[in-house]
Amino acid sequence: MSIVAVQGVSKDYMLGKTVVPALRDVTLEIGRGEFLSIAGPSGSGKTTLLNLIGCVDTPTTGVVQVDGKDTSRLSERQLTDLRLRTIGFIFQSFNLVQVLSVFQNVEFPLLLQGGLSRRDREARVMGLLEAVGIASHARHRPSELSGGQRQRVAVARALVTAPSLVLADEPTANLDSATGENIIDLMKEMNARDGTTFVFSTHDPKVMAHASAVIRIADGRIVAREAGRGAAAEAAR
Amino acid sequence: MTGRRDALLVLLRISFRNLAASKVRTSIIGAIVLGGAFLVVLGLSLLDSIDKGMRTSIQGSLGGQLQVYDARSEDALELYGGLRGESLLEPIEDFAKVKQVLSAVPNVETVVPMGIDQAMVATGNVFDVALERLRADVRRVEGGDRSPEALRGYEARKAHVRRMVGLLRDELGQARSIADLEGRDAEDRRREWADLTRAADDAFWAGFDRDRYGNLEFLENRIAKLSMDGGFTFIRYVGTDVDAFFRAFQLAQVAEGEMIPRGRRGILVGKQYAEEWLKLRNARRLDQIKEARDRRGRRIADDEELQRWVRENRAGLKDILLQLDPIQAEEATARLRRALGPAAAAEALPALLARLFDADDATFDARYRIFYDQLAPLLRLYVINVGDTITIKAPAKSGYFNSVNVKVYGFIQFRQIEKSGIAGMMSVMDLQSFRDLYGYMTRERAAEIDAIKRSVGATDLAREDAEAALFGGGGALEGESRAARIDEGRLLADRRADRPAEDLSTRTYSQEEIDRGVALNAALILRDPSRLRETMRDVQAASDRAGLHLKVIDWQQASGLVGQFVTLLRVILYSAVVIFFAIALVIINNAMVMATLQRVKEIGTLRAIGAQRRFVLAMMLVEIASVGLAFGLAGAGLGGLGVWAVRAAGGIPATSDLLNFLFSGPALMPTLGGGSVAVSIVVVVVVSVLSGFYPALLAMRVTPVEAMATED
Repeated sequence: MSIVAVQGVSKDYMLGKTVVPALRDVTLEIGRGEFLSIAGPSGSGKTTLLNLIGCVDTPTTGVVQVDGKDTSRLSERQLTDLRLRTIGFIFQSFNLVQVLSVFQNVEFPLLLQGGLSRRDREARVMGLLEAVGIASHARHRPSELSGGQRQRVAVARALVTAPSLVLADEPTANLDSATGENIIDLMKEMNARDGTTFVFSTHDPKVMAHASAVIRIADGRIVAREAGRGAAAEAAR
Repeated sequence: MTGRRDALLVLLRISFRNLAASKVRTSIIGAIVLGGAFLVVLGLSLLDSIDKGMRTSIQGSLGGQLQVYDARSEDALELYGGLRGESLLEPIEDFAKVKQVLSAVPNVETVVPMGIDQAMVATGNVFDVALERLRADVRRVEGGDRSPEALRGYEARKAHVRRMVGLLRDELGQARSIADLEGRDAEDRRREWADLTRAADDAFWAGFDRDRYGNLEFLENRIAKLSMDGGFTFIRYVGTDVDAFFRAFQLAQVAEGEMIPRGRRGILVGKQYAEEWLKLRNARRLDQIKEARDRRGRRIADDEELQRWVRENRAGLKDILLQLDPIQAEEATARLRRALGPAAAAEALPALLARLFDADDATFDARYRIFYDQLAPLLRLYVINVGDTITIKAPAKSGYFNSVNVKVYGFIQFRQIEKSGIAGMMSVMDLQSFRDLYGYMTRERAAEIDAIKRSVGATDLAREDAEAALFGGGGALEGESRAARIDEGRLLADRRADRPAEDLSTRTYSQEEIDRGVALNAALILRDPSRLRETMRDVQAASDRAGLHLKVIDWQQASGLVGQFVTLLRVILYSAVVIFFAIALVIINNAMVMATLQRVKEIGTLRAIGAQRRFVLAMMLVEIASVGLAFGLAGAGLGGLGVWAVRAAGGIPATSDLLNFLFSGPALMPTLGGGSVAVSIVVVVVVSVLSGFYPALLAMRVTPVEAMATED
């Protein structure tokens, strides 16, 4: 069963008194374990689509199903809970909590979830920090890290709850291309290791190249779904 | 449950880290909260201490815990006088019954009868005093005492009176030059002037010894009355069961003289009243200057009022000069010359006195001592002294003036509030004299009137029968009127035979006589003052059951305006606190809204990665509440420190009568109340949470979409 099913979804925003359609009748299915890229110019609706999938926004019309649940039928609390337990987020500008250390940032979703002992939490967090290669900076504050390091922390935070789906909105946009590529490699590695579904938006062709599939979007409509080189590489393997 | 705890921990962690991260904002909010808590603690502590001081002053001087008076009274009872003079109270006709009924209420310890009123008291004048002395000398000389000492004294008094007549003539001469001599009283004025001219004439004094008594009478009857000074002054008194009064009011004490013997008539004059109204003006002004310099740190050099007092003292020598007869004047001159040093060696008394009073800051203390050590023993400092019998006059209820003679047993003051005119103006008089003055029928007066009626054959007439009874049944003329000499002597002799005239001042009244009769109000002293409200209800109920028509009020209400002063202070403090916290609310609210707006992205992120709305709400409230609590505690601590500092500095000095009374002492020593600390903490935390509530709601409404915003 697919992890995400989007059917006939439109999303309108009000800009003053004019209605601005951000998405028009979008239908999309994302399978488990995919490493999917949503590509398109700015203002094309990439972020809106990600928001809908990420349960931080609800569609004007149509149905968004995440992990088999119709998001428009869930309460605010249930949506929050769904985000906490099923989805991990990676943001363009990293969005780490400035006042918490690297370790505490990554630990945060676990604390919200509760249920794990301190030792289990520590093992999980340190394991991930090692996996993203930032364990030595566990006690640092985000402001003491470089952009790439911060995004590594963000990746670890997104993965710490072992979500089924990780959404990344332009994860490399604030990084230089080499670092960006490292992050994509890291995400891909995680995708390969745990089979976590990754959906990320980008307009960088080099990044797209790593995806197993690319959804092209323009003017709120999906214009193409093409298999990426990453997919080809995978298929070849 | 561990989930909850983990979430709470991380919530606290973020809250505190946020506070630590934005130090400027935290310290601004903290300073406001700290200031607020400080204000509340210090303000409430001071206010509570004033409240306590006022309670001590009122309850210990006149108020007791409760007061009762007739519910049908026109005015409300005001123990310390109101703006419109004394309150008009319906008299309690039979105090004994009130005492009996109210004493039966379990928590009531003592019931003290009272009648507060104002009266006029004749103070006499220096002229009378001088003539009295002269009369004593005349009596000695006429009695055959020809010793040199007696003759010297007699001549000195004569010279004194002669000088006074001269001064009086000068004074009235000035008045004469501006008076209208053509008016209705012109004839009187002319006769007075002729008398005065005669008395000032050398011939009068040369021939004085030919008819000593006759000339003395001329002076007493025709001249003394022309002297305008002295006369009378007003006195405020409480007529009471003096024994019970002293037992009930712990602050009352006899400052000078002795207690009125049990059951006797007499008066204890208010010490502060005596200072202000009965004391020699020059001495009073010296006291005031000393007080201002010693207690209030004022200096003659830069204080307009003190300079005026010095000037008035220098110019106003008449009172002193008139008091001193030539022998005393000589003695005073010698003493002042010695005390004031070589510069004064050749000066006459007026110049010496002017020199004595012309003090500056450097010389004042020495001059003050010279006045009291050297000059005062020669002077009559107060117009009323312990041991005098004074005449008190007051308009009675019946409309005409009643007067009583009472002996001054001493001066009364109230401990700790000696300097306050609020209680210190009050003199304490026996209840019988009060009843006579007040014009209400005492039993003995009723009996006396009865006896007079019987002896002159008066009968009561009903109005409707009056005509028939007085003018007969309409028959022929019943008798002829005839003029007859009224033999006063025989009438009075009869009266004396009926009932020997009694010297009221030596009569001792029994408790029963004191209780039976009129009082205007009564103070109740409670065994357990903390049960005031409850006892107030019990007293009211007991009074109503007995049909006494009493109104029961508490001490604060009974004190009238004075008691409301603390209420006024309270209103001012509370208003200040409310205004302060209203402003604080706006400032804190603004600061927190700004903080929320700055953190929209972070909050959005928290929401996106799974934090519930209530997590965000709680986080914001914890943040502001912990600032409130921490700085509130610090502020309260600072307030406590402030209270301590005020105490260490000797308290807040009572710089006026009212403050002396409210502080119940010369300075207010505030005590830190646990209540005020608790109140301040609660207030600041509540205000913080209230002011943080709107920004917290804003934060709660931040959607996770905000996390995705990419404006940076």
